[in-house]
Amino acid sequence: MKTLRPVLLVGLLAAGAFGQGLDPSKLVELPTDSWPTYNGDYSGRRYSPMTGIDDSNVDSLTLAWVRRLNPGPSPQGGGGSNAAVIKGTPLVINGIMYVTIPDHVWALDARTGRQLWHTTWESRGGWHIGNRGAAVWNDTLFVETPDCNLVALRLTDGEELWRTEICDLQQFYYASVAPVIVNDHVIVGVSGDDLDIPGYLSSYDPETGEMQWRWYTRPDPDDPEAATWPSTEAMMHAGGMTWVPSTYDPELNLLYLGTGNPQPVIAGQGREGDNLYTESVVALNPDTGELVWYFQVSPHDTHDWDAVQTPVLFDAEFDGEPRKLVAQASRNGWFFVMDRETGENLVSTDFVGTNWTLGVGGDGRPLPNPAKQPQLDGALVSPDQYGAVNWPPQSFNPDTGLFYANASRAYSVYYLYDDDEKPEGWGGNDRGGYNIPMLQAIDYRTGEIRWSHRWEGRGRVRSGLLSTAGNLLFAGDIGNNLVALDPADGTLLWHAGLHTPMTNGPITYELDGTQYLVVGAGDSLYTFVMLAD
Amino acid sequence: MLNRIRGVLIIVIFFTFFVASNAVDSAAQAGPFDRQRPDDDAVERGRGVYLARCINCHGLDVKGTENGPDLIRSVAVLRDLEGSEIGPAMANIADHPAGLPGRELSDISHFLKQQIESTARNRNPSEPPDVLTGNVDAGRAFFNGDGGCNGCHSTTGDLAGIGGRYSPVNLQQRFLFPRGGGRPETPTLVTVTGGAEGEVSGTLEFLNDFFVSLTDTSGAYRSFRRTSDLRVETRDPYQAHWDLLERITDRNIHDVVTYMETLK
Repeated sequence: MKTLRPVLLVGLLAAGAFGQGLDPSKLVELPTDSWPTYNGDYSGRRYSPMTGIDDSNVDSLTLAWVRRLNPGPSPQGGGGSNAAVIKGTPLVINGIMYVTIPDHVWALDARTGRQLWHTTWESRGGWHIGNRGAAVWNDTLFVETPDCNLVALRLTDGEELWRTEICDLQQFYYASVAPVIVNDHVIVGVSGDDLDIPGYLSSYDPETGEMQWRWYTRPDPDDPEAATWPSTEAMMHAGGMTWVPSTYDPELNLLYLGTGNPQPVIAGQGREGDNLYTESVVALNPDTGELVWYFQVSPHDTHDWDAVQTPVLFDAEFDGEPRKLVAQASRNGWFFVMDRETGENLVSTDFVGTNWTLGVGGDGRPLPNPAKQPQLDGALVSPDQYGAVNWPPQSFNPDTGLFYANASRAYSVYYLYDDDEKPEGWGGNDRGGYNIPMLQAIDYRTGEIRWSHRWEGRGRVRSGLLSTAGNLLFAGDIGNNLVALDPADGTLLWHAGLHTPMTNGPITYELDGTQYLVVGAGDSLYTFVMLAD
Repeated sequence: MLNRIRGVLIIVIFFTFFVASNAVDSAAQAGPFDRQRPDDDAVERGRGVYLARCINCHGLDVKGTENGPDLIRSVAVLRDLEGSEIGPAMANIADHPAGLPGRELSDISHFLKQQIESTARNRNPSEPPDVLTGNVDAGRAFFNGDGGCNGCHSTTGDLAGIGGRYSPVNLQQRFLFPRGGGRPETPTLVTVTGGAEGEVSGTLEFLNDFFVSLTDTSGAYRSFRRTSDLRVETRDPYQAHWDLLERITDRNIHDVVTYMETLK
């Protein structure tokens, strides 16, 4: 039996005291006084129009508050680390910040970091690898728990309203994804890749928790795409987890999602074919879950290169015509641009220097080099299993027309452990590694690298990006620094040393005419501020 | 023909029950705390039952045959607790024992759970990969030729006997990625110039875009803020290895490792 244990500050029990409810119209606007969704807005650009902090005054940024999250000795169970690490994006709504780690949600005063309430979920298990954040609809907050629950909390005090199971722990699923609100849908993804289980995206009623639809990341047996699997049995155990929140175009009413790796993960000889719809960017109807189009970025992957990086939406000129575009810098080291109405591929380029392809096919998909699939005696592959990029958010800046990815050129050796004709699970792994960490600025029109900043020193970038109309690009380096760069040329403008490397993507919001900048680093939130004159 | 039809029918029934149930929303399930932990003795007893009763259709590796489905991927088996799911399932499928004694049912369950847990952890090898697939002579030629390895290393000096010191796969890893894994490192040397103290050299302690620090030749720790006037030159002792990653082929790798393994 699980119970939620909200802890409130004395005197703040009166429901509605804060007026926290989220105006749904905020979800389609660029954030100014709030950061109402995982990506700030539906587009996934992680671009703020605010100019309170700019390239002329960023040197004057001041530390406003630091808040260390203390989850206490709660029983967490399952696998993974129990250490508190902020791997999600906080929300800020009506002056209140909502931040999560697995099994925990805090509401903080966004001006001061003062705790308003803290809710703990008593877990039955699941992997505690990270939680990407929450979503808010009117006066309800939604969060996934590692033990496969979607939980609705009352926004004012963190009291549980309802819960529903969204996956099956016994099949080795778990839940870590930030929900996405579209109209009257709470859209949630699922996690897990120990066994050969199918990935899916589901939609729930925000008031009742009833499931509205579920879309599996594989074809139905009668679909032509089923031919990309050697058998129905293999296809029904396709993998393709939905690890990262979707983006959404209200005008087209299309939801955009990147799907995860096929199963078995490394040993792919039992699933010959392209393995649709794994490692694809897909467009779905959010009201029905119906697939509208797909573009696969890694046919028949055998390297664990989940293509779940946020599909970033922007309208821009392409070949002289205004286009509705979607772009992804993918874990496999390739950058893609598609028309987001049709899925037509427009750009496919290598953005770090990889060695696993034989080039690009006529449809824009990279052609995997069979020799760079995992081998019994090892194959040197770039990128490594972590990938050129991973889940941390990227950014598109409409002012520069550049797409930014905090990336790595990385090498490791992939080994095949199981050469059976029907391997299961993983059946192999990679080992060793060397990487060159770099921040890449990619021209969306061509995929060319407009500028590249190689982070000095040794380490790996594991944090996200934010660009602003203040002519700034915020990033974490491979050490403990939050860094501001000139988005036009990569010039380093400012930095602040944190106690540990950044572990999420930065957000920004304005309250009382003051612009705040917040990042997570390990168990702490750091909030910087540009004080108004 | 009748047997074939019956086999197909069984597969269809199994498929419907064990596989297609993926498509339905799950009812309340127990979490990992309640996940059945395989008991060693029960696993061995269950293995015996499986070999006697199940292997012909479900296969030696439990991954199914043309006469019976994969039981590692079976949702019913995954959800099973001491026979709670597989008992009723078997009762409804032709040619399966309906009244299997409770202990046998539980033992089979433990055996199947052990197979599942083992599969879920198979990203870790049970045996080291066999990487000695190259040609000794070709490896020697690359070492002394295109690879340029002999520019820094000697098979009668620092690498003498190296084939006896490391397993083949560790030889391969250390050759390609000599830094890391908690191993002692050859220090990186650094020279800082352009600061108020002129040229300062030593062993690199820390470097990022904003600071550099070193231990100088006197043993003193020195730290510098990086400015446009400050020049920092590092000499990574492993740079030749990193450069090699850009051009070495898998064939080269296997040849060199096979050659190095002979250095005993």
